[in-house]
Amino acid sequence: MQRNRPPSAQSIRVLRALAADPARWRYGYDLAAEVQLKSGSLYPILVRLADPGLLETSWEPGVISRPPRHLYRLTSAGREFVGALPAARVGRTVPHPHVRWNEA
Amino acid sequence: MPLPSVLMLCLLGIGIAMFRRSPQAFLDGPSSDVPTVLLNWAAGLLSEERAEWGQAMLGELDYIDGRIRRLRFALGCVIAALLLPPWGRAAAGVWAMIAVTAGSVGLYASLAIRFGLAGGDWVNWAWAAITVSSLAGFVLGSSALLRRSGVALPGLLGGLTFALVSLTMTGFTFYEVTGTIMTFHERLIQMIAVPFTVGAVGTLWRGNAAIGRRIARLAAVSSGLVLYLYSTLAVAVLGAGGPPDDPGLTSGGIVSDRLGNNLIDLLLGTLLTATVGWAGAASVARLRPGSPLPTLPGPFTPAASPDPQQEA
Repeated sequence: MQRNRPPSAQSIRVLRALAADPARWRYGYDLAAEVQLKSGSLYPILVRLADPGLLETSWEPGVISRPPRHLYRLTSAGREFVGALPAARVGRTVPHPHVRWNEA
Repeated sequence: MPLPSVLMLCLLGIGIAMFRRSPQAFLDGPSSDVPTVLLNWAAGLLSEERAEWGQAMLGELDYIDGRIRRLRFALGCVIAALLLPPWGRAAAGVWAMIAVTAGSVGLYASLAIRFGLAGGDWVNWAWAAITVSSLAGFVLGSSALLRRSGVALPGLLGGLTFALVSLTMTGFTFYEVTGTIMTFHERLIQMIAVPFTVGAVGTLWRGNAAIGRRIARLAAVSSGLVLYLYSTLAVAVLGAGGPPDDPGLTSGGIVSDRLGNNLIDLLLGTLLTATVGWAGAASVARLRPGSPLPTLPGPFTPAASPDPQQEA
């Protein structure tokens, strides 16, 4: 059963960072540095965004002896979702947005 | 057998097992990069549905410079892997372990309030901190083991068997759990025969020594948590009553002493049963080296896009 709960303030930070340049593929570590989240917080958020289709992922082929690198960007549903978020929504004290994970 | 001897024997057994597994690695110490080792372990905790994310973390680590930054990234990913919800039986098992542990902590807290254990004496606070940390460690350990392929069901069944055998020996009475010292014969059955059998049967069931050892460890950890809950419940029911204790102790002292004994039983009992179960699994694997290996999920191979950066 999928829970129908609003995104956390941290998730919204990630969403907004991705929405700043929605066409660009982003690396996990760079994204974590930009939104000032630790990897332990970022990856569960990315998983939760990817599951309902707000985020698409891809692999950048590895160069020389390095492994492939995972990339992220918003889907069109993700962009719509971010667009529907209230502009002032930055923390839990602000009312939840009407858009829910499952509606995206 | 005195407790320090049990501890020494267990540590010696673990050392021998590690040496036998890979003598060169044991003597040389860890040769790989610590963050990579940590992250490989964490990636193994993820379910098949989440394997891609484990590879994503591993791939990202390779592009991070600086030892501290790499270590921090890897530790964060370990936490992420442990916190990402598991699936199926593993999820049910994790929630069961959390429920059992929450019950123990709740009983401990109620006893602390009822007998004034929280009032001023720092030793009681230290014991409480050690108890909660140990229980949290047990839950995390069981969570990691439950996520491994083929471990959840036999491990939990083994733990249940071990707990039932132990409680049967006490007649399922709180009095016996709190105060009776077992005979050598009973100890032999409880601490050696049963965990050895669990490890051996687990290895035969899954046909793989590594899975058998994990089954033995999960059985030890899960039974430890269940027995700790039962013994804490016994203290809550009996309070300072029940079997005679040191006559010089106050009610609070008796309860505190019994809770301390429960913790020692949890830590040392689990260590001993896990080691013996490990030995059982290893013995069966040695006697039946030709056991068929099950097909384990292999590492996730990312299907790289042609060039996503160009596409963008």
